[in-house]
Amino acid sequence: MIVQTALLIGLVLFSVLAILLRDLLKSAISLAAASLFLGIIFFRMNAPYAGVFEISVVAGLITVLFILTIALTKAGDEVRESRVVNWVFPLFFIAFIIIDALVMKGLLRKIPALASGAETGTFGDVLWKGRTFDLVGQIAVILAGVFAVLALFRKGDKHD
Amino acid sequence: MTNTWYFTLFFAAALIFAGILGLLLRRNLIKLFIAIEVIAKGISLLLLGTGFAKDNILVAQTLVVTFIVVEVSLVATALALIINIARQTKSLDIRKLARLKG
Repeated sequence: MIVQTALLIGLVLFSVLAILLRDLLKSAISLAAASLFLGIIFFRMNAPYAGVFEISVVAGLITVLFILTIALTKAGDEVRESRVVNWVFPLFFIAFIIIDALVMKGLLRKIPALASGAETGTFGDVLWKGRTFDLVGQIAVILAGVFAVLALFRKGDKHD
Repeated sequence: MTNTWYFTLFFAAALIFAGILGLLLRRNLIKLFIAIEVIAKGISLLLLGTGFAKDNILVAQTLVVTFIVVEVSLVATALALIINIARQTKSLDIRKLARLKG
């Protein structure tokens, strides 16, 4: 429980840092560290496949994409951020944490838990047999993403 | 078991709120997208935490894997859009997009 709590606090801390830090590169690396914490949490929740996906895809691929974008848009990164962010963000966040803790402690304990049942089979059974339609959706989403990126990086015509 | 569920819900809500605050307060397009990523992390944690508490970890895992695939596709498309916007407006400021005409 202590390790789990430390991991969850690390996840929230690095996520907040990713939003608060001024330097974009440091933000992207903080986001990768948060993903790493989330992946370890997934492993500890007996979800190794989700953990592997989180660490390899989110902490790896998405971080690379972010760093690539930061490198490609280096010329236009002088954005004047609002000065109130530095004190408004921590203020509202701490206020929300207090409200969140009170709600979770008081209100949610009164809500009856949903019915749960142990499941059988393996991850492969559930993914390939139980959620087959999700796989079709995933293929469609990947194809849509590929075509969108191809369309966005298309060489300009003579008319443009 | 329910204690750990509420504990996970607490942290997931904190992540989602941090992401929403980032979306409201930041002006840099990449920063806004990082805030969306933080919200996505909160939702992943929520899905898997609930699955873990309800002994339905396999379904939760498949949903998280599906969510991650959709997230990657979204990131690739959105970052391509951001690069194009940066080339067009020579800036990453979200306020300059509001001034576009025609």
